[in-house]
Amino acid sequence: MTVQSQTGTAAAAGIGGHEPANLGDILERVLDRGVVIVGDIRISLLDIELLTVKLRLLIASVDTARELGIDWWQHDPWLTSQARPAVEPGPAGYDEDRRAIEDRRRVDRG
Amino acid sequence: MRSRTAGGWIVADRTVWVYAVGAGLDGAWLDGLRGVDGEAVRPVSAAGLTALVGAVDQEAFGVEQLRARLDDLDQLATIARAHHRVIRVAADHQAVAPARLATLYADFGRVRAMLVEHAAAFRAALRRVAGRHEWGVKIFAAPERGPGRPAERPASGTAYLRQRRDSLTARETALAAAGQVHADLAGTAVAARQRPPQDPNLSGDRRRMLLNATYLVDDAGGEAFAARVPAIAREHPDLAVELTGPWPPYSFAAVEEGERA
Repeated sequence: MTVQSQTGTAAAAGIGGHEPANLGDILERVLDRGVVIVGDIRISLLDIELLTVKLRLLIASVDTARELGIDWWQHDPWLTSQARPAVEPGPAGYDEDRRAIEDRRRVDRG
Repeated sequence: MRSRTAGGWIVADRTVWVYAVGAGLDGAWLDGLRGVDGEAVRPVSAAGLTALVGAVDQEAFGVEQLRARLDDLDQLATIARAHHRVIRVAADHQAVAPARLATLYADFGRVRAMLVEHAAAFRAALRRVAGRHEWGVKIFAAPERGPGRPAERPASGTAYLRQRRDSLTARETALAAAGQVHADLAGTAVAARQRPPQDPNLSGDRRRMLLNATYLVDDAGGEAFAARVPAIAREHPDLAVELTGPWPPYSFAAVEEGERA
């Protein structure tokens, strides 16, 4: 089979239920996956890391997951950045990250 | 306007956004392909590898502006979809290692240097994903009760405990079933990865997500894999199974910064 675009193959294979990719599916792929190479605009990577933490909280409903006993991502090296201490995703971590972003912005503004 | 610099070709007031890396990515499919800034997507080659890039506005994609835009969920969505679209079109034609969002270089020469520096790692990643795509499977717990029928108020403490125990047992059963489905699908795939469940606010789905997994599947077996998912779902009426794909191999083309040529 020749794999075409997302919807193309679904149609070709006669599979129902394929809608255009939803935002969550795309974001978790383009932000957390893919080739990680440091570009010339270094700050973007650092900021993406922080942004990703925020989004990760949006993506992963941590409390619900814990309640269900789902915790595999805590062992996934991809989801615990090498660039910062492994912050367990949770409201406390989020606040720290947000403080860090705000602090840096204040510094940037001089 | 172009000028020659020590680093390579630079385009005035432009910075270079990287979409993906492949081997000899080129073809008529590139014609008319537009990127995150509406710019023409073009190949930049070195070391037998090709990066798909776009020259984007230096100001709009500069540190401050880009940071602010990525912090806005609507703008982030627009940029992410545009980035994904380029990668998807490329992956439809050739093996690619997708670049993470917002990988930016000063000029084309810097992109070539990056290709040379990471050539071995890119080749290894491309070998892993050649002739393969990624499929996504999400499993939700089927709703415990229909909409509009609120939980019955327990008549006594004992009744409450029984209700709570039954609900926990149902969850454990559903989780175990989701795990079985994953093991089953992973057995037919080249590789499999699990991701944290998505939040209902982002997925727009109120049901509880039990599994959010991706599978790397040979293109020749893609149709069979896709057909297998609804078949498995029928065996588990207590689960709602959702299939997405085929995706470019985002989850399986990792190249770490430490991996050098």
